[in-house]
Amino acid sequence: MSSTSPRIFLPDLRELEKSLPVPIPDRVRILSELEFDLEELWGRLLAQGLEEEEAKARALEALAPDPGTIRQLGWLHAPIYRRVTLNMRDDRLRIVERSALAAATGGILLLQTLTLLRADLLRNPSPFLFPVLGLGALLVACVLAKVFELWIKGDHRNARGGLGLILGLSGIVLGVAFGGTLVDLVRLAGILERAPEMAGRVIPLWMVRESTLLSVAILLALFGGLVWFVLTQWLTLVASARQEVLGLGRDSGN
Amino acid sequence: MTETGFDVQGFARDIHELLVLSTLREEAKHGYQIALDVEADSNGLFQFRHGTLYPILHRLEEERLIKGSWSRDGGRKKKIYSLTPSGLRHLSGETNRVEEIVSRLIQFLRGPGKATT
Repeated sequence: MSSTSPRIFLPDLRELEKSLPVPIPDRVRILSELEFDLEELWGRLLAQGLEEEEAKARALEALAPDPGTIRQLGWLHAPIYRRVTLNMRDDRLRIVERSALAAATGGILLLQTLTLLRADLLRNPSPFLFPVLGLGALLVACVLAKVFELWIKGDHRNARGGLGLILGLSGIVLGVAFGGTLVDLVRLAGILERAPEMAGRVIPLWMVRESTLLSVAILLALFGGLVWFVLTQWLTLVASARQEVLGLGRDSGN
Repeated sequence: MTETGFDVQGFARDIHELLVLSTLREEAKHGYQIALDVEADSNGLFQFRHGTLYPILHRLEEERLIKGSWSRDGGRKKKIYSLTPSGLRHLSGETNRVEEIVSRLIQFLRGPGKATT
């Protein structure tokens, strides 16, 4: 963009960006569209013989949105969720959102447990399976909260916040499972040392327990890692589009 | 318009939307060109100021009456709008409605018993 254009409206676009109450991707599209039109009109006014500053002022007067127009744009580009909950008080909305998240987390935990029960994998579980399931439910809750915040609520004020927690929880789930398997292995070795004749009965049981623990943990960690990767890539794309339209450096925040 | 009430603000908004749709009837254009053409074709009677054009364009796009598409012009991104088939139908239907409203308004302003010209 900058190679062929003087980009004289960048300060005005940066100022406008601060007041545009819309999600970042929409903001970038609005500003890109506006910049092209402003530059075209400015060029046309220059060709008509106006001074640069006067042409700029006239172009801004014609095309730059005033507060009323900004409000209209904000409403038009607001996510459906925002439009639906417009009349709800902030504190009440927060309670509803948190309750829904808690219910979703509980539901996921229940679903995980039911699935394991149905597959008869909870008859003699590793004690480490329960913290893995709990952490997994927390991980899924974090993912739901982040996806809801970014893509349903369209709130990008702290876009990268919580992504580290998702990746960290995925790692912790794996760590607990592998650590648990190791502890269970030491215990198994202790049993076999005391009573080697039990090997035929204890080893197959141990294998079922540990494979359940490890497969649940690996699935949860893969899910968390994949979500972290997709969200990070999406946010990087959005941030670079914003940096391009506002002519900002790589280190500028959202 | 209904027989029981008439929304003047809504009518003004509809007029602006129709001006945009009408300007796009012949060819696809970008925002600033639409504003210039509306002003030129109406001999300065209708003008868009303070960016009021953009909410109209974005609303029409959301209602799928126009279609926005991005292209590159000398390295710069620009958004071009074109009329959709449903936009064309909407323009035709709304033009008839506006014609009827204006004709009834003229009739009213001229007073009872005087025919419209």
